[in-house]
Amino acid sequence: MLEQGKIDSNQAIMLLVSMVLSTAILTVPAFVIKFARQDAWLSIMTSILVGLLIAMLVVSLSLRFPGKTLFEYAEEILGKAPGKLIGLLYIWWFLHTNALIIDEFASFLCTAMMPNTPTIVFFIAVVAVAAYAVRNGLEVLSRYNQLFLPIVLGLLFIVLILTTKDMKAARLLPVFDIGLVPVLKGATVPASWLGEVVVLAMIIPFLNKPNEAYRVAALATLFTGLVLTACTLAVVAIFGPVTSGHFVFPVYNAVRVVSIANFLERLESVIVAVWVFGGFAKVGVFYYAAVLGSAQWLGLKSYQPLVAPVGVILVALALLCRNIAYLLDFTSRVWPPYSLSVYEAGIPLVMLIVALIRKKGGKAVG
Amino acid sequence: MIALLILMFTGIILLEVPGLVKKKMWRELAAFSVLLLIGMALIMPQAFGVVLPNPSEAVAALFRPLAELLE
Repeated sequence: MLEQGKIDSNQAIMLLVSMVLSTAILTVPAFVIKFARQDAWLSIMTSILVGLLIAMLVVSLSLRFPGKTLFEYAEEILGKAPGKLIGLLYIWWFLHTNALIIDEFASFLCTAMMPNTPTIVFFIAVVAVAAYAVRNGLEVLSRYNQLFLPIVLGLLFIVLILTTKDMKAARLLPVFDIGLVPVLKGATVPASWLGEVVVLAMIIPFLNKPNEAYRVAALATLFTGLVLTACTLAVVAIFGPVTSGHFVFPVYNAVRVVSIANFLERLESVIVAVWVFGGFAKVGVFYYAAVLGSAQWLGLKSYQPLVAPVGVILVALALLCRNIAYLLDFTSRVWPPYSLSVYEAGIPLVMLIVALIRKKGGKAVG
Repeated sequence: MIALLILMFTGIILLEVPGLVKKKMWRELAAFSVLLLIGMALIMPQAFGVVLPNPSEAVAALFRPLAELLE
């Protein structure tokens, strides 16, 4: 075994929540509002269903092969060569997606907070800290996350309550004005974000109670989806669908309007805290998946030696895309169909069907 | 910038290589070296200002039709 650590169900839920929520909360509401206008919340509700389906798919596949990650059972299901190819595709996806996340992380800090700092400083800072956590294993990453996520979510909750003063429910009306198609189109972006739960295929083998994996996946997806819905509702109720569709980071803008008795102001730094803590956890999980996957793909005895070189590759990949407009266009238009069709639904579905036909793996437990 | 990168690579090598050699983990050392070389090959040209092709462009080219379906 490359990873000796075990994490419990609550840690896994928290890891999945901060993994999806931290980037989704910044950019996703704007993408969805552009498509579905004031019905954006319906889009996100729809995407929760898609996310739940993907979660069930991944968990039922993983539970047929107890103690094995995606990279190991892909070879068992499909045979040596096709399994290796699938492994390579997933390593690429983890690296590429992580580079996009790091890029978003840096672009946000750079655009919204510190415009005079070169973005590479943020790249190296987040990758270096994540590398330290990943090198120490999944347990360290989960415990860090267990410590900070409750604080971060608590702050987010307080800040959202403070924005209610500026909300007008009338801005959410009329409901279902533009019909079903834009709502469904708007659902693809949050569905692909929630579909990142596919990373669970790398974490389930290290759960101390694997039979709780269904509960973990379902609770994490539901919780993330509902927080995302609440944030989107808040944004639309404050600015209306037209203005909020033009924001780059709408939740950040929503929190900026909070001004209570000319005293409680500048609360957007809370959102920055959510972003820095959560973004780091997210980078860490994808980094871990890429490093562990590469070590298993190469058949190594330890994954630690790969952490630093993979970090260098991550910084290099993040540097390749330097333009925030291109990044947002890519993550809102190309990345969702690409990830959903291939990595989140396509490959796991094919693997599950082949596993059922070839009768590979034990009967799913739990 | 270049000096910083060289410092960073030296640091990474000093941190990992002695331990791997001591434990005779040659396979791990080979994987480490290849990945570090890939990383260097990706980061060094950018440090000198060379614009490398962005892999996102290739993904975008492949998935544009599907993406346009969703417009």
